[in-house]
Amino acid sequence: MSANAATEVHVARFSQLMQSRVLPYLLTLPSLLLAAVVIFWPVWDLVQISTHDVNRFGQLRAFSGLANFWALAADPDFVAALWRTGLWTVLVVGGALLLSIPVAIILNTDFYGRGLARVIIMLPWAVSLTMTAVVWRWALNGESGMLNSGLMKLGLISQNIQWLASAETAFPMQVLIGILVTVPFTTTIFLGGLSSIPDDLYEAAALEGATPFQQFREITFPLLKPFINIAIVLNTIYVFNSFPIIWVMTQGGPANSTDILVTHLYKLAFRIGKLGEASAVSLVMFIILLIFTMIYVRLAMREQRA
Amino acid sequence: MSLAKWTVGLLAGMSMLALAAPADAGEVRVTVAEYSAKTGPYFEEVKKEFEAANPGITIKYEVVPWDVLLQKLTTDITAGTNADLSIIGTRWLIDFVQQDVAEPLDSYIKPEFKDRFIDTFLQPSIMNGHTYGLPIAASARAMYYNKELFEKAGIAKPPATWTELQEDARKIKAVGAFGYGLQGKEIETDVYYYYAMWSFGTEILNKDGTSGLSTPGALEAAKLYKSMIDEGLTEPGVTSNNREDVQNLFKQGKVGMMITAPFLSNQIKEEAPSLKYGVAAIPAGPTGARGTYGVTDSIIMFKNSKNKDEAWKLLDFLFTKEQRAKFTQGEGFLPVNKEEAKMDYYVNNADLAAFTALLPDARFAPVIPGWEEIAQITSDAMQKIYLGSAEPEAVLKEAADKANGVLKK
Repeated sequence: MSANAATEVHVARFSQLMQSRVLPYLLTLPSLLLAAVVIFWPVWDLVQISTHDVNRFGQLRAFSGLANFWALAADPDFVAALWRTGLWTVLVVGGALLLSIPVAIILNTDFYGRGLARVIIMLPWAVSLTMTAVVWRWALNGESGMLNSGLMKLGLISQNIQWLASAETAFPMQVLIGILVTVPFTTTIFLGGLSSIPDDLYEAAALEGATPFQQFREITFPLLKPFINIAIVLNTIYVFNSFPIIWVMTQGGPANSTDILVTHLYKLAFRIGKLGEASAVSLVMFIILLIFTMIYVRLAMREQRA
Repeated sequence: MSLAKWTVGLLAGMSMLALAAPADAGEVRVTVAEYSAKTGPYFEEVKKEFEAANPGITIKYEVVPWDVLLQKLTTDITAGTNADLSIIGTRWLIDFVQQDVAEPLDSYIKPEFKDRFIDTFLQPSIMNGHTYGLPIAASARAMYYNKELFEKAGIAKPPATWTELQEDARKIKAVGAFGYGLQGKEIETDVYYYYAMWSFGTEILNKDGTSGLSTPGALEAAKLYKSMIDEGLTEPGVTSNNREDVQNLFKQGKVGMMITAPFLSNQIKEEAPSLKYGVAAIPAGPTGARGTYGVTDSIIMFKNSKNKDEAWKLLDFLFTKEQRAKFTQGEGFLPVNKEEAKMDYYVNNADLAAFTALLPDARFAPVIPGWEEIAQITSDAMQKIYLGSAEPEAVLKEAADKANGVLKK
């Protein structure tokens, strides 16, 4: 009896606490503290470095205000890298989405060997990005590359193409490889989404005489939308920050013509030793992603409520 | 609130982890640059021998690929967790000295010790009268040529001038190979251009300390390379070939001539033993001027090292004749030790003789802060010229202005 009474008291206190609105904050406090350590601390460090005159080993000297940021704005290589990063992100994320939806739909249908097909699609994900890029660098080698010898054997080209010699061929190849390695993750998200759509919707639609395309447009696509939104946000963040493909294949060259912000940042920091400007680039990237994510999440949520 | 306490504890623990730089007494930590697959095993051998001879001292290595060495050192020094000793590119030394992280070694260096070195190679590590590093690796560049292709093309001897080189490249092209291997990507793209530039009488820095890129000699050299690309005398896609790519083409017998370091001989011995090649001087310009690139890497001691005496003992050991010979011959470098240079291995080696003969013409990277940035500016400019995206004259002018901006700082 007394035990019961004690439980009741506990429950009462608990609900009181819940209503007091304090508890939710208390419950998120530990993870907030952890986030502060792993996120805010480095960002604070970056703010410090980017607003100071620093030597090449990161030791702070005089406060310099926004000088590092102005130096960036005046640097045509930075501005070019900024635009190229936008192009790179849109092309890779867009391409991966367009490719992943049909792939996920096919992998979601029941066919013989589906397990194997799923494994094959997921494989690029299991290989480290750097290794993938290294293999592609070999494959795209002008004289001894697999791609040239393959195209030659098929009779598609009569002369070796120097894929990585100029941005006109190197950058599109990098985008294609970027798409290739982004597809597995995106497909996984979509497969999860597709399996959450009940089969009876399709059965009912089929009974009413809906064509497969109509089924896709009226059932699959609208119900997949939240998953597409997640895929867009996550992929944008990953691709925007993606370093290995471009670095391994061209180091942003020739003459900085395939640089995106991360590769530009790496060169500034660790080749030339301008840690102040590099930190400024890094902050600019952080702010761009933050604004993108906030706007996008808000738009997506408004859409869902409507 | 035990959870919050726990979090605070975790925080404290993490910050302690970050602050505590391991510094056991008698432990010498060394950051080693990985030159080849032989570097790691060589230094492990050193550890065994040295620890056996010096009980109480233990050695700990961090073997790092060259590409990320500067990045690792930068982050280590920033965090205060750098090793006691490190191999660095001597061209970075001035930054280390200016930022006061390198320990001058003068108090340790006895005349007997200093006398072990060939002076040319010790000089670059001396700044403001203090010795800050010891040359752990030394190298120069010379021209490799494929004897078989030369014979096929009817060329009797390696070219002595750039004009001859151009003609020879045409003849080699006629027999279906690439005449002159031109590097146009990644590290030392600028250096590959200097070979020609030095021959036309231009130095990296003019006498008044400004960039040499806007001089007539610099333009001549750039135009020479560009005309060779346009004429098809180089390998195609120059800007997609880094040093290793061009070396691979040479090993495959596809390239007639290329300029590179002595270690290519070692690689050929192992990977293409049937390749018939020779090593010759870098071609001269119209006035007979020529230059090769001399490079040393230094091993330095950090100012914040807690085990300086032990670290010095290791340096003393590393620079004995026997240790030097083992390392230098394994990696394919040039001897920095006088006694070592007298060994049969070097005296009877025709390839190495070609390199040492060029040493009087060797230029080392200029000792100026911001050198890496100027190298980057020059490499970018060369890539633009090789690609033909702008006129050489305009590109060089722009690059010279940028370099002068860096030099003024």
